[in-house]
Amino acid sequence: MRRLIAGAVLVAAVLALTTACGDDEAAPTNTTSPAKPFEINFLGETVTPSGAEETIEQGTDIELVIEADKPGELHVHSSPEQQLEYDAGTTTIPVALSNQPPGVIDIESHDLDVVVIRLTIR
Amino acid sequence: MGPDGTSLAHGIGGAQDLPISPELAIAGAVAALTVSFTVLAVAWRTPRYDGAPGRPVPPWLDALVAHPAYRVALRVLGMVLFLYTAVAAVFGQDLVINPFFGIFYVWWWVGLVPFSLLLGPVWKAISPVRTINLAFARISGGDPDEGMFRYPERLGYWPAAIGLFAFVWLELVYPYSTELGPVRLWCAVYVAAMLLGGALFGSTFYERADPFEVYSGLVAKMSVWGRSPEGRLVLRSPLANLATVVPRPGLVAVVAVLFGSTAFDSFRDSTTWLRFLQDHDVINDNGVLGADTSVTIANNVALLVFCGGIGLIFAAASMATGIDPGTDRRSLPDRFAHSIVPIIVGYIVAHYLSYFVEVGQQTLIYASDPFSDGSNYLGTADLQVNYWLSYHPTFLANVKVLAVVVGHVLGVIAAHDRAIKVLPLRHQLTGQLPLLFAMVGFTAGGLFLLFAA
Repeated sequence: MRRLIAGAVLVAAVLALTTACGDDEAAPTNTTSPAKPFEINFLGETVTPSGAEETIEQGTDIELVIEADKPGELHVHSSPEQQLEYDAGTTTIPVALSNQPPGVIDIESHDLDVVVIRLTIR
Repeated sequence: MGPDGTSLAHGIGGAQDLPISPELAIAGAVAALTVSFTVLAVAWRTPRYDGAPGRPVPPWLDALVAHPAYRVALRVLGMVLFLYTAVAAVFGQDLVINPFFGIFYVWWWVGLVPFSLLLGPVWKAISPVRTINLAFARISGGDPDEGMFRYPERLGYWPAAIGLFAFVWLELVYPYSTELGPVRLWCAVYVAAMLLGGALFGSTFYERADPFEVYSGLVAKMSVWGRSPEGRLVLRSPLANLATVVPRPGLVAVVAVLFGSTAFDSFRDSTTWLRFLQDHDVINDNGVLGADTSVTIANNVALLVFCGGIGLIFAAASMATGIDPGTDRRSLPDRFAHSIVPIIVGYIVAHYLSYFVEVGQQTLIYASDPFSDGSNYLGTADLQVNYWLSYHPTFLANVKVLAVVVGHVLGVIAAHDRAIKVLPLRHQLTGQLPLLFAMVGFTAGGLFLLFAA
């Protein structure tokens, strides 16, 4: 049993050492980087992109440039959740995400029940 | 429903964890593999855990835990929590800020694991359905342990497995899992079924058929708290405690539902599954069903496949061994099922740690305002959620992988100890191999989902 525990500890230590270094994280910064824009097009029952994987740096905001043939609503699954309404035509909506910790946030079309963008914050 | 009456397709809680890095996932899988075979090669050859007595706790602790006032205090605590939640469920509004959802999905379901791991079988101690049954028995002068009938041995843990499946189905598959009506109905059916079962079969029913008591009881077997045969409180090593799980019919089904559903929860969040649901023609353009119905069906099938697949793999792997002529091969899966419990706990920690800590805090904040009218009954409404864990993603990822690997190692040791007890001498090593491969497969699969989802 001793040997086993020692073995387990050794493995854990190796695991910790090999992986602990590298991309460590900083607290939320107040530096204002420009909001990153994403284009979304609604046409009939379809949306482009659909399930697109995008990445932003922690501490940045985004901006959704929405082109739609009819009004609708987007949900941003941040904490807390944000609900964005848009009209037919082109709408630009700023979305504050700089206060979000690292993680994965889905931006969903409420009307189509589709994840439009899967946004990784790291 | 959202504040403006919209439904939240995502369940409660916003952002998900960052995926773990591929290096970390591979390191974890390699560690699991290496340790598994080391256990097989160097570990003991006579069972150590079966029947381990445990060390008695200090007398004052045993006296405190056995004291009627302590028991009653816990029952009162459980009842107060239950009534507070019930009031929010019945008189609260159908909004995400209703604390009912967080209490139900986060405090109760996820919280059951850490509390049972630290404190032992908590749900048994505070269960409001047990308390109500107890009160009925007091009033009518009966014995709460005795029902009208004897609980059939054949049923074993099967009702609990079905109840657990009903819960994970509501949480992970049912499209309206964050609307007040359906969740409230689920709870009402649960309470009704438990009171009826208690009246029919007495307290034995709760021990074997209450999904939450069975879950909490299994996890509690990984705590240090045990009971000696005379009923005294003892301290045991978690592995010795785990060996005291009583194998009954349906135990494999219980662990398969718990493990399978957690794996499905990871898989459901993966981009692979999202792509399939959103872009595949079978879902979106099948000409028979609408896309929404197809998505629900696909999720139902996937949940069943995960739970059923894990149950079948485990059952087959534990039966694939040489046995004594006197042993019933079909009894083996249930006798080995306890060894999956540490793997479940490790995976639950990996999957729900940040969710429990962060949405758990959010629920405490919401709990002050059960009617969503801006009240601050408990004084917690102005607290802020601490996102420390999310801001330390490397630390979080390391904890997750460590939890999965440690759970795996404990599972392998528990299975080894049981194998040398129930398998004949010449099959003790080879007989363990299929199960060992199955466990390595489960762990590698779990790590892959943490990396890919």
